[in-house]
Amino acid sequence: MKSTPAIAFDQVSKWYGQVIGVNDVSLAIDGGVTGILGMNGAGKSTLFKLLMGRLRPSNGAVRLFGTDPWESTSPYRRVGYVSESEKMYDWMTSLDFVSTLARLHGMTRHEAEKRAEQALSFVDLENVLNKEIGKYSKGMRQRVKIAAALVHDPDLLILDEPLHGCDPLARTSIMNIIREMGSRGKTVLVSSHILEEIERITEQIVILHSGKLVALGNLHAIRAMLDQHPHRILIRCADSRALAAIFIDQKPVYGVRFIDSESLEVMTKNLSEAHQLLPSLILESRIPIYSIENPDDNLESLLGYLVGDA
Amino acid sequence: MSKPKTNDPEGRELSTTVWTALDRKAGAIIELTIKQLRNKTSTWTVLGVSMLLLVLLSAFYIDSVREGFESIDNDGDSVDYDGDGYPLGQERKYGSSDFDPSEYPGSGLFIPEGQIYYNGARSHTGNHTWNADGPSFFSGPWDSIRLEYLEADEPCPDAIDENLEDAPYSNWAPFSCLMENGDRYVQFLSFDGNGTLTVAEGWYAVYGITTERFDVAPDPPEAYIDEDGIDWDPNDPSTSQGFDDDGDCTRSEYPEQISSDRDDSNRNRIPCDVQWIRATDGSVIQIQPDMLVDEDPVDSELMGESSHRSFIIITGKIAFAMIIGIFLPLFLALGLIRDEGENGTLHYLLSKPIHRGEFIVYRLSGYLIFSGGFVLLMSLAMALVTIFLGPDGNRLGDVNVWFGIGVVTVLSLAAYGSIFNALGLLSPKYGVYLALIYGVYEFAMAVMTLLGAELVPVVSVSHWALQMIDAVVLVAWPDTIMLSQMATAFNIDSGIDIFWRPPIHTFGTGSPELAIVVSSMVLIAFISLPILVGQSIFKRREID
Repeated sequence: MKSTPAIAFDQVSKWYGQVIGVNDVSLAIDGGVTGILGMNGAGKSTLFKLLMGRLRPSNGAVRLFGTDPWESTSPYRRVGYVSESEKMYDWMTSLDFVSTLARLHGMTRHEAEKRAEQALSFVDLENVLNKEIGKYSKGMRQRVKIAAALVHDPDLLILDEPLHGCDPLARTSIMNIIREMGSRGKTVLVSSHILEEIERITEQIVILHSGKLVALGNLHAIRAMLDQHPHRILIRCADSRALAAIFIDQKPVYGVRFIDSESLEVMTKNLSEAHQLLPSLILESRIPIYSIENPDDNLESLLGYLVGDA
Repeated sequence: MSKPKTNDPEGRELSTTVWTALDRKAGAIIELTIKQLRNKTSTWTVLGVSMLLLVLLSAFYIDSVREGFESIDNDGDSVDYDGDGYPLGQERKYGSSDFDPSEYPGSGLFIPEGQIYYNGARSHTGNHTWNADGPSFFSGPWDSIRLEYLEADEPCPDAIDENLEDAPYSNWAPFSCLMENGDRYVQFLSFDGNGTLTVAEGWYAVYGITTERFDVAPDPPEAYIDEDGIDWDPNDPSTSQGFDDDGDCTRSEYPEQISSDRDDSNRNRIPCDVQWIRATDGSVIQIQPDMLVDEDPVDSELMGESSHRSFIIITGKIAFAMIIGIFLPLFLALGLIRDEGENGTLHYLLSKPIHRGEFIVYRLSGYLIFSGGFVLLMSLAMALVTIFLGPDGNRLGDVNVWFGIGVVTVLSLAAYGSIFNALGLLSPKYGVYLALIYGVYEFAMAVMTLLGAELVPVVSVSHWALQMIDAVVLVAWPDTIMLSQMATAFNIDSGIDIFWRPPIHTFGTGSPELAIVVSSMVLIAFISLPILVGQSIFKRREID
């Protein structure tokens, strides 16, 4: 018997008047951590709101564990949702907040408090659970929201931009939590507009652009395809002309551009081969190197490759 | 040995049913709502203002109770309107006018015999009592002057000539003076004299005789306060009761002055009585007095209980049902769901397995427990005030009435809460304006109901709430109809006849219990319908 996927979109479109939120999206996700990548306004939040029954699709069908979330709230028993909204009940303590939301799953007060303490402990907030949320840092607030989403041990966790605005320490903490959930066999959906963030969490990604699904699959496979396309490598060094003379005859390099006497842009159509070759050449040249950057290694460039106009 | 626990296929104990889960969700949302309301400044502001209103009303009540009830001249006959030193009641006894200071008890009654008319002879001679209306000369002995004027023996001013052609010396005021030829000039004056009165053109005079004069000492005004009490024997089954203690209706021993048709103004063919009409259970439902019978009772005997009830009814209707009942929901219920959407916190609650329709009911329940608890507490406090400070007697009725007022107000809070919440959902942007307009409408309907309108205000919560209070009062104090009728019939200014009326929506039975049932059902409809409308709106609402 074919099992029902946790999430299924079938030719789903959502318009806000004349503006398209999501355009003809079809996908099914079940198990593991999936990153939803897209620039601001790409339709990530709209996709999640459709999943959570907050919006009704203009076209197509949305299914959450096989049920239309607009018509029924029953699938929410198995879903934990972290919205992008930063608003919270600032006057509540995190224990109060999480246990109240736990009780909405039908738990007794005692059970809800116990589960809330466990969830807050899981996100490393066990020492501040009786402190008012209004006194929390941005990262702590995000973790409270995650605890509230996890408190009923959901099969599916949906996180809308959970790392947005967090400091590096909080980001690492939240990334660890997401990975841990994935390793426990849960289905996790996490959205971001920063490629590097998603890369650190998962390999399975969905890329949205202007409401359309432009890529779905393994990040490495997508990257491999991307590597075959023109890339720039920006090198800051003591003598850019000398370094250019060494690079210009190499196979993966098809051009160089001087920015100034200490900056050089190397153009390649095979990024991985270039990355394997260039370090040894630099070592042989003995030219002091200050920095090496890949300016095209970001979501904008990825989208540029995928849709051709970004 | 304990029985083994039975679990369902998912491993849950069977005690964990759909219903217990619903209870827990309801409990969580109700608790959250109460906590939210507790954390809003506006909540404490509106509760504070409500408490202040009740404290002020209590202060007025306590002040009036401490002062007691002064005797009131309900029929106004202790006043000396014409300034002759005799109160109206005494003038009525002697049949003298209280508009003419020349007539007073013992002054004798003027019986007219003839007149010098406008277009007839201008003079008349004889020994009479004269009433000269305009400028006139009198020649002859001036036997007695009924009114004393300093100028009566003073020489007349030059302005008065012998032809009486000029205007009167002093316009429209009694006056007399001595002419050079020994005659007297008189105007607007009554006097006795044997001689000839000549009246100026265009004026007239009346002459006649005056009955015997005697000295009557003026009664003190207090003698005409509380002098005609209510004469009613509750054990007497007769409908015709009452006695005209001060005699101003019967007037048997005094000259006739008031027309006799007033003697039987209640048209029961018995003059100067009071008709007491009772229901089959013996309770008085109507009192129809003849004029001037039992019209000035001892106020302290009746005002105490009547005013006490008036205070409770006025406070219940205006402070509780009309002010607190409308303003609390306006501040507390309008944003129950709307504010969650605007604050961006609604998704926390709606991403849980809870139906939006349920959510509205639980939110309203939380609001109602909070606001209703406050109202019931306030009504209990008011009950304690009136029980301990009210007039002597069985004050258990106070508790019942205050509890009834509390329950009616809670029903109003529920109805307005669901209406305002639905308006907030209908138009998150303009809901507050719609609610304000609706609040003003409800207040106007309440005022119309207080003024006695029966048809137009039925499409309002306030009308049914006020009727329910009327019915609760009647159930707790069945003799309120009698007190209200007494206030109307005997001029007792307690306000009970203004602010309380027997309930009208009783299908002709007059039963207050039926009125309570009917009012409750209508109020429940007012609560349910907006909830259904709100659920319908909210179910279709996209939450972006």
